[in-house]
Amino acid sequence: MTDCTAATLRLLAAAYAGLVILALAPAVPGLLPVVCGAVLLALGDLWLRALTGETVAPATRIGLAAMAGLVTLPLAAVALHVVGVPIRARALAAALAVLATGLGAVALVRARAFPADHAPRQLHLARPAVAVAVAGVLTAAVAVPAVLAYVRLPHPPLPGYTSLALGGWAAGIDRPVAIPARGLRVPIRISRAGDPSGTVPLRVRVGDRTVNARSVPVEAGATRSVEVYVPAPPGGCLHRIEISMGAASTVFYAHGPAGC
Amino acid sequence: MTMTRVLPGPGSVAARPAAGPAPRRPAARCAVTLVAAGAAGAALLVAADRAAEWGRGSAFGLFWLGMLVGTLPAGYWATRRGLGASLRLAVLTGYAGFTYLPKLLRNPSGPLYHDEFAHWRQSRDILVDGRLFEPNPIVRVVGDFPGLHSTVASLATLTGLSIWQAALIVLSTAHVGLVLGVAVLAEEIWRRARVAATAAIIYSLNSSFLFFDTQFGYESLAIALYVWALVALYRAMRAAGARSRTGWAATTVLLTGATIATHHLTALALIGTMAIVALVVTARAAHTRVAVAAAAVAWMLTAAAAILVAAWLCWVAPRTAGYLDPYLGKAIDQFAGLAGDGGTGGRTLFRGSVAPWWERAAAFAAPACAAAAMALAGYRLWRRRGGDPVVRGTTLAMLVLGALYFPAAVLILTPSGAEGARRSWAFSYLGIALVVAPVVVAALDRAARRRTRALTGAGLLGLCAVMLVGNTAAGMNPSYRFPGPPVFGSDTRSVTPEVLAAAAWLRATQGRDLRILADRYSGLIFGSYGEQLPVTGSVSFPTYDLYLARPGQPPEPALLGQLSAWKFGYLVVDRRMAREVPEIQIYFETNEPIPHDGRPSFTLGQLTKFDTTPWTIKIYDSGNIAIYRFDFGSFGVPAAGGARR
Repeated sequence: MTDCTAATLRLLAAAYAGLVILALAPAVPGLLPVVCGAVLLALGDLWLRALTGETVAPATRIGLAAMAGLVTLPLAAVALHVVGVPIRARALAAALAVLATGLGAVALVRARAFPADHAPRQLHLARPAVAVAVAGVLTAAVAVPAVLAYVRLPHPPLPGYTSLALGGWAAGIDRPVAIPARGLRVPIRISRAGDPSGTVPLRVRVGDRTVNARSVPVEAGATRSVEVYVPAPPGGCLHRIEISMGAASTVFYAHGPAGC
Repeated sequence: MTMTRVLPGPGSVAARPAAGPAPRRPAARCAVTLVAAGAAGAALLVAADRAAEWGRGSAFGLFWLGMLVGTLPAGYWATRRGLGASLRLAVLTGYAGFTYLPKLLRNPSGPLYHDEFAHWRQSRDILVDGRLFEPNPIVRVVGDFPGLHSTVASLATLTGLSIWQAALIVLSTAHVGLVLGVAVLAEEIWRRARVAATAAIIYSLNSSFLFFDTQFGYESLAIALYVWALVALYRAMRAAGARSRTGWAATTVLLTGATIATHHLTALALIGTMAIVALVVTARAAHTRVAVAAAAVAWMLTAAAAILVAAWLCWVAPRTAGYLDPYLGKAIDQFAGLAGDGGTGGRTLFRGSVAPWWERAAAFAAPACAAAAMALAGYRLWRRRGGDPVVRGTTLAMLVLGALYFPAAVLILTPSGAEGARRSWAFSYLGIALVVAPVVVAALDRAARRRTRALTGAGLLGLCAVMLVGNTAAGMNPSYRFPGPPVFGSDTRSVTPEVLAAAAWLRATQGRDLRILADRYSGLIFGSYGEQLPVTGSVSFPTYDLYLARPGQPPEPALLGQLSAWKFGYLVVDRRMAREVPEIQIYFETNEPIPHDGRPSFTLGQLTKFDTTPWTIKIYDSGNIAIYRFDFGSFGVPAAGGARR
């Protein structure tokens, strides 16, 4: 077995092991992204072995392997789409395993057929790879604290709001409502964020008449449900029903039990 | 970029002994210097963002001080003589990583730019539904180019990371890959590690590098693939035997295919660049009667790329032409207007901008610097005729590509052309970087004495600083670069807790994937976090006419019929449209027939008329944002206390 063949087999084994972990292992923080990165690099290198089978400079190899590994993901996703399989972790891992097998097979056949192309493959890849990794770690050591500091430092407050919405069954109103003679209790949802607690006037209008008015307390950063009594409109014709709270309001349309 | 050897070209001075003894333990010194500079630069960038959001101090000054403190030492080390290959590679990696930080700090925890919402939504849909090619409600062609969001969604699926975390990994990898790709391409052409590193740094001065090509947008991944496809193309042209040529040609096709599946404009730019290379190499081959095989390879791969693009645009993404066409057509019209009728189609650069004077001055100086550098590069190439015809042909092709920067710069004077001009600079700057880099290194090498060399180096770093500042200022508005208080009608600052709460309420109570009408800014939030299908209008489906109708004026029956037939269920109204002017002069979409004269284009009556029409049930209101449910069956029915229509 040549060095190149052995290296290809090692890459394949690493890719399979990584894919098994990605497909089956529980989400351990930090582990799966590292495994996924390693798998993609292995797949990228398999692409190069299968396609070019040539010795190239370390930076070229690292860069091309990274790019080829990255494009393997959309390739696998598109392949799954074509065969009608939803894109999920196990399906992706299986697709990547099939691809790795194919690439590995081509690379092995190529290495056996043209051994001269592959002879000096293992030239000085470790040192530049370590250089890139160390640079990446040092950059992260600079960037991550900066980002965390920025996120955790206090930021200016954003403008607050108070919202009023139809709640419960009323949130589903999609046509005029028939209100019985005894009237109707309409649930509403009041929410406030970023503004201080206080009391706001709540008003119900049926057509042009105000039929109900009171004040309701609204707490900062809280959401509460309130039921509002709406009496039956005076006739069976369509009436505009407005429930307002300060500048905000909800509007729906209703008719009473009498004929129009 | 081999960075393992330095092969001097004809007349090169790279073989001269380095002045002075090589430093001891350069790796440790370099690491300590760059980490210290990077930490100081990062702290200044954080300070700049805080100054911007609190509205005190000079955000611009702090930002550029941070950038220069963080990058100039890396520029020095990357172009230093006698540096080891691995160390130079590490420096470039660190440089690329640091230059990703401004965008990372701008929105570390979620999408912010317009297209980011579209890609975030598309990735999330894949994660939830497991399907590709679903229509995107924010940018309608995004779904047809699944390269980026399928990569992000796949990574998120496999690792359990969030969409945004997965996106940051993919984008930062692509950003580093882009810098290394430019260096590798330069090394392939010039065979000199310092020139390669210099080319990468010059490329990073382009206007899209810091903020645009780092966003969660398809071009950010595609631009890296574009450069690496050119690396593979060049190796295919240079390959000695048929087997090697076939292998590199296959690699080129793989990367070209990935580019096409990722971004339409980058794919077209790739075909254009390949065609320029093929054309110039063919001309050289005809002239010298060598390099015929290289020219044939270049043409075959260009043809393959063109066929792939045509096939993708015909069968997978047929809407793309219709999506791009209005931008191009309008840009041409505006350019004609600019030239023909007293400049009516134009725009004033930096109108209303809060950028400081020195940034604006640098923006005008940067193209001049680029022109001077290109003139010097052209002169140098003219003086050094001969040599390998493939190398010569490729460098001349890069000169042509770089020269395209200047006509594109004129397009910046038209509102619609400006978008395309900015996007094209990421490609044309590759040509500039590749041909100017040897001139810069030659200038450094020509300075014999230590003091002169230091002065030359400082001068060149100063020029780089001017170009970085100027190009970035020309390419990105301050609101994209800095945080600040919410601004109505800004793509990056219109997100408020109020809009987010409205979108969350609609999703929680009514479900997802609802067809809704909205303005551009509400549409971004309802279409992304809200998981709805907003429509913001177009010439063929002018939903904005509903908002524009005067109180009491009935909406167009055809429009109402369309809304009813297509099962539009909800209408979102942002009442700020009646009180404020959108920062970017757009309410709904770029071609909207709405006047922009510095005053709000809507009256409050136009926006609150839905409160009294029986066919619109107001189910949510938070002061600025109101949500109505359509009840088309009640259209025209009279109601006590309401309007009929």
